Amino acid sequence: MLTLRKRSLVLLTPLAALSLSACGINSVPTAEENAKAKWANVQADYQRRADLIPNLVETVKGFAKQEQSTLTAVVEARAKATSIQLSANDLSDPAKVAAFQQAQTQLSGSLGRLLATVEAYPELKSNANFLALQSQLEGTENRINISTKDYNEAVQAYNTTIRTFPDAIGAKIFYGAKPMETFKATAPNADRAPTVKF
Amino acid sequence: MSKLAKLERRTGHQLVVATTPSLQGQPIGQYSVCLGRHWGIGRKGMNDGAMLLIAPAELKARIEVGYGLEKALRDEEASRIMDEAIIPAFKAGQFEKGIEAGADQIMREIG
Repeated sequence: MLTLRKRSLVLLTPLAALSLSACGINSVPTAEENAKAKWANVQADYQRRADLIPNLVETVKGFAKQEQSTLTAVVEARAKATSIQLSANDLSDPAKVAAFQQAQTQLSGSLGRLLATVEAYPELKSNANFLALQSQLEGTENRINISTKDYNEAVQAYNTTIRTFPDAIGAKIFYGAKPMETFKATAPNADRAPTVKF
Repeated sequence: MSKLAKLERRTGHQLVVATTPSLQGQPIGQYSVCLGRHWGIGRKGMNDGAMLLIAPAELKARIEVGYGLEKALRDEEASRIMDEAIIPAFKAGQFEKGIEAGADQIMREIG
């Protein structure tokens, strides 16, 4: 009697596990949480970039007052970019993702223009504080690229999960899961910046 | 025992010096991160590995730092090591000298 009962328990457990995993009960939230966690890294990297800018602007100002309009453009683009926060729950809203991305791209562009003007100021170019900021900025652009790539991969895995049978059933019925948006790298010189040619 | 093995024994941090015949058309920053992850440089959960990657064919080099070592070896320090110790030696054709000096300075920061 005892052995029989035990056997029926053993039979039951794998079946329950199967039905849970087969309908997206576990896989959908796991993939979603993973993508959201990866998004947090992307956001932290953008924040890190934003944090470097005031210092950069101050340093450049000390050497290149004539570049006032370029400096103002950076300050304004930074203000705009930091005002648009994209929470993890907004990641399936294409319009919100596009707005965030556009603001960051704008900031990348004005930063690029500022760094290009530096060429005309040899003293600034060799200033220790500026050099440190420049390498931090380059490193941060690279981090943004890597975390964006990781996020996109996680989103692709999530989007595949919620569209693939049988997980799609659970995704639809229990979670109302919507596909998330992927992200394009924003820095125009992103893959060039951190490399050193010899 | 090599300097790199000593560093790992003493601090737990792994520093890897690697050369690659080709970056396969990828940006070096991307190649280095993929290689570092593929090899699993640094301790799991701590991300405390670092790599000096040299691609002689493409004339490129890069110092890649795990998240766990970012405070010990900061961007500006990595950049300075590259500009002052590695690149000048490479430009003079002294690869060995550049690699050794670069690795020594990286170890000084993370050791």
